[in-house]
Amino acid sequence: MADVKMVNLTIEGRTVAVPDGTSILEAAKAAGVLIPHYCYHPGLPVAGVCRMCLVEVEKAPKLAPSCATSVAEGQVVHVHSEKALEARKGVLEMLLINHPLDCPICDQAGECELQDYTYQEGRAEGRYRDPKRFNPVEDFGGDVVYVANRCILCTRCVRFMDDVAHDPVLTVAERGDRALIGKFEGEDLTHPWAGNVIDLCPVGALLSKDSLNKARAWELDRSASVCPHCSQGCNMIVETRDNQVMRLRPRPNEAVNKYFMCDHGRLNYRWMNRQDRVDVPLVRQAGVLASADWEIALRAAAALLAGKRAFVLASPNLSNEALFLLGRLAKKTGGTGAFRVPQGAEAPLPGVEDLALRADRAANGRGAELLGFTRSETPLSGLGAGDVLIVADEELAQLDASGAAKAGAVIVIGTTLPAWARHAANVVLPIANCTEEEGTFTNLRGRVQRFLQAKAAPGVARPSYFVLGDLLAAAGEGSGFWTAGQTFDALAASVPAYAGLSYDGLGLRGAMTQGALAGASA
Amino acid sequence: MGFPHKPHERETLVLSKHFGEQEAIGLDGWRKRGGYVALQKALSMTPAEIVAIVKESGLRGRGGAGFPTGVKWSFMKPGDGKPHYLCCNADESEPGTFKDREIMRWTPHSLVEGCAIGAYAIGAEVAYIYIRGEYTEALDKMNAACKEAYAAGILGTNAMGTGKTVHVYVHKGAGAYICGEETALMNSLEGRRGNPRIKPPFPAVAGLFGQPTTINNVETLVAVPHILNNGAEWYKKFGRPDNPKSTGTKLYSVCGNIQRPGNYEVPMGFPFKDFLYDLCGGPLPGRQFKAIIPGGISVPIQTREEAENSPMDYEGFVANGTMLGSGGVIVIDDAQNLVKQIARAARFFAHESCAQCTQCREGTAWTTKILERIVAGDGSHEDLETLLEIGENMTGKTICVLSDSCATPVASGLQKFRGDFEALIKKKKVHMVPAQVA
Amino acid sequence: MSATRNEMGGERAPGDLAHALHETEPHVPVFTGARRAELDELLTRYPTKMAALLPALWIVQEERGWVSSDAMAEVAQVLELTPAYVKGVVSFYTMYHQHPVGRHFIQVCTTSPCNVCGAEDVVNAFLKHTGCEELGVTSGDGKYTVIEVECLGACGFATPVMVNEKFIESVTPETVPALLASLG
Repeated sequence: MADVKMVNLTIEGRTVAVPDGTSILEAAKAAGVLIPHYCYHPGLPVAGVCRMCLVEVEKAPKLAPSCATSVAEGQVVHVHSEKALEARKGVLEMLLINHPLDCPICDQAGECELQDYTYQEGRAEGRYRDPKRFNPVEDFGGDVVYVANRCILCTRCVRFMDDVAHDPVLTVAERGDRALIGKFEGEDLTHPWAGNVIDLCPVGALLSKDSLNKARAWELDRSASVCPHCSQGCNMIVETRDNQVMRLRPRPNEAVNKYFMCDHGRLNYRWMNRQDRVDVPLVRQAGVLASADWEIALRAAAALLAGKRAFVLASPNLSNEALFLLGRLAKKTGGTGAFRVPQGAEAPLPGVEDLALRADRAANGRGAELLGFTRSETPLSGLGAGDVLIVADEELAQLDASGAAKAGAVIVIGTTLPAWARHAANVVLPIANCTEEEGTFTNLRGRVQRFLQAKAAPGVARPSYFVLGDLLAAAGEGSGFWTAGQTFDALAASVPAYAGLSYDGLGLRGAMTQGALAGASA
Repeated sequence: MGFPHKPHERETLVLSKHFGEQEAIGLDGWRKRGGYVALQKALSMTPAEIVAIVKESGLRGRGGAGFPTGVKWSFMKPGDGKPHYLCCNADESEPGTFKDREIMRWTPHSLVEGCAIGAYAIGAEVAYIYIRGEYTEALDKMNAACKEAYAAGILGTNAMGTGKTVHVYVHKGAGAYICGEETALMNSLEGRRGNPRIKPPFPAVAGLFGQPTTINNVETLVAVPHILNNGAEWYKKFGRPDNPKSTGTKLYSVCGNIQRPGNYEVPMGFPFKDFLYDLCGGPLPGRQFKAIIPGGISVPIQTREEAENSPMDYEGFVANGTMLGSGGVIVIDDAQNLVKQIARAARFFAHESCAQCTQCREGTAWTTKILERIVAGDGSHEDLETLLEIGENMTGKTICVLSDSCATPVASGLQKFRGDFEALIKKKKVHMVPAQVA
Repeated sequence: MSATRNEMGGERAPGDLAHALHETEPHVPVFTGARRAELDELLTRYPTKMAALLPALWIVQEERGWVSSDAMAEVAQVLELTPAYVKGVVSFYTMYHQHPVGRHFIQVCTTSPCNVCGAEDVVNAFLKHTGCEELGVTSGDGKYTVIEVECLGACGFATPVMVNEKFIESVTPETVPALLASLG
């Protein structure tokens, strides 16, 4: 950035330089100091109403709301001085006088900012002796339930729906201590991105109906991942308990999804736990698919491929690593591959540049394209008579399975066994889904992003790249694809679009492929 | 004047000279009384010249803040190419204050003229008069006056034949004390909830509709024609010789337990003791003044001694334990339950809180509940300490000062009349005994 | 949404008349004919449509006596706002009624300056003589609703009372019966 005026100030004894116009709260973050706050959120316009972020600024007559006060040259800011602590303690006490002590029954417990700051800076005992205000619970529509009694009136939800979703269906209603969040009957939180208010709510006032009372926050394990439900590639967190995905939540990425995730993405997690998985290799013997061990299954598959041409029907939900190896396999036999992307209605989040639930409802269509697969509405049309059809995690639900009839043999490599395959498949190799292995997806703008493993795969199912590496080896092609990292690095070395990238270098923010679409977000 | 009583001979009648005169309400009658001479003169001057005169006069905002008006006007940068706005704050909701109401219903044209001059002086073509919704008579009279002024060519695109544009529009409020706060007033005018805004940005930079704006009280604006007609030196003559910071006359609204409640106009520095006992007639028969609040419910309560010692100007009241504020003089005598009235004041603030800031939203209601419990005989000594601490948490920490205003009567009440509170505290302390598990 | 709040918000009047957010018959638009012309003139005074919201709501209340949800939706549509936004504004300002109220909506100031002059006695006199059982509850015949309000700005003329748009000064318990009789 050229010519940005920098301002130097001292916060809690640490000197820091930030661009002119930065708030004290953000400058404190840069200095490694967290100023407690509620109404402030980097993805929303500043409100300055909760008064929790008050800090002491030397030579200023009053405490400053750090989210709404710009830095000034030479400022000396005290976050934990006695005056500032007293003020914040006062705010916490005030917030708790009408707030019901619902912790034992409130979903937010364990990830509640009111709990956290009260524990950190609040009074040990409350002094309020009078009746608390009561408001009934309200269904806000969509996935959102509003427990009005717990609301601290931070107005994050109102500002999100207004300024980010451009669908101002929430408002503050009434005045004084009667105030609460209101909506108009008939106007609900059915906006495709409305579920974000649940994440934004610092307390248990806005809750997900889907997750209601299902799990305690501290029981959950968390893994960084990428949403697989469309080509936007929103960064997410997969939360699991006892090897079940319990919840998906957005993970901040300034370049892709800011702080948000759409409802379609976040609520569609049940398939990740589906029980009807193929969890053991199968080989057809005497007309019947019977379980076999990996050695045998792989040798059987390699035998089918020997001397034949392979055609790969790939799922655009496979990782780059899996698709790369499938491509290798196809090329070795002189064959090709194709894929089809299911479509849905696009739903942008208007307040964020280039963020939408995309029409392409698959995680890695771009990745498949870059790796040489052909996109087609009728992907089986490329299948030649007598080819070995490799169906890679594609259920063929919408396709005419009869198109597969002209194949000489069928190898299914996937997470489930489609119905038609029971009669048609010769070998079935079970793989992990995207929460059970690690790998990368490439989003519609050409950004490559890593997802990590969140739970264990069922039975003896293995990571996709591992299985394909073994299959290539069994077919006589070199091995060395034991890990996703090795596979990706090999991919980067041989596919020009990925030149210069390395698996470790991707980190958890991702990186752009070469020649990414013009005008894409950086 | 001590309207509705006949003017007292010791009053100085400038703004209130024509209260009670039916003929003064209409345009013709107002013209006969010297109306619109100042506006004609102003429109032939430059805005900068007008601002200089008003600055020199020492006129300070009469709504409660007492900010020098000429200085406020000088914050409006001329020639910035942006539409400027003048807002007249006629939301008068500070308990104890009822002066603007009288100005508007007896001399509506004085306000039209004041707004027109003020708008011109700050480079605005549009002035909005925000009148609280409850002031039905003032609304009728101001609407009628504006209509007359437009018909007579005083307002409009050819104001008084000068080719300059001056619009004055009346805007009706809908029941919110907080809309008397200047930034909340702007939000309300824009069609929003009456929430005060964070400053900076200040109204003179980005105010109404995001444009440079000045907000002035009714009483401030109606003083301007007199200053232009008689000169800044004339205005400065009213006041204590040893206190040049407070000049001009002030309309005081007197109410409560006193012989002659009403509006009185006296020069700055007038002795408060004379005011209360002579002009207003003193306490009711058989009673004594106990607590006096000279500036509307938001300023500290005075003891009788402090009041009797005060010169009536900005500095004089500050030196005697309170502030001039809006000049709404509330008098409470020794027959009243002072703690009950402080509780009622807290209830007022709790009702009016806009709900943005945590300390105000929760603190005003909490303060009220504790005070009402004390009045009902269910209070404790800890409650008194808690009240003071809540008040401290409510002071200097919020977007606007409604929160501080709620804390003020409580703090000054406890400081100066603690005995009243303690008399209501239960003598017996209740000990909590843990339940026995059988 | 429940309209009754705790004691702080006392003047919301659910009443015996339908504690209704909706009108009992289908909504007839307010902004037609002369009222529409009135709104159009008001719109010329402000650079935004939103600024005409409070004036528009006053027109609704003048026409219909209260602001129903349907009326809020109409205002929203006319001024290009959302109904939720309009509701947020209506519920902020205490002078707009969100439910039908008695034919004579009696508002008595009881803030401290009037309180020390006997305002509470005036309130009790109104309750007694109107037959209203409690504050905020409309009388059985639909004629009266009595509420306490905050400072009406006539403190020197204690106790001031507003009946609908009419402002009456210096009311005492003794003058209450005659006042009620004059209302008709």
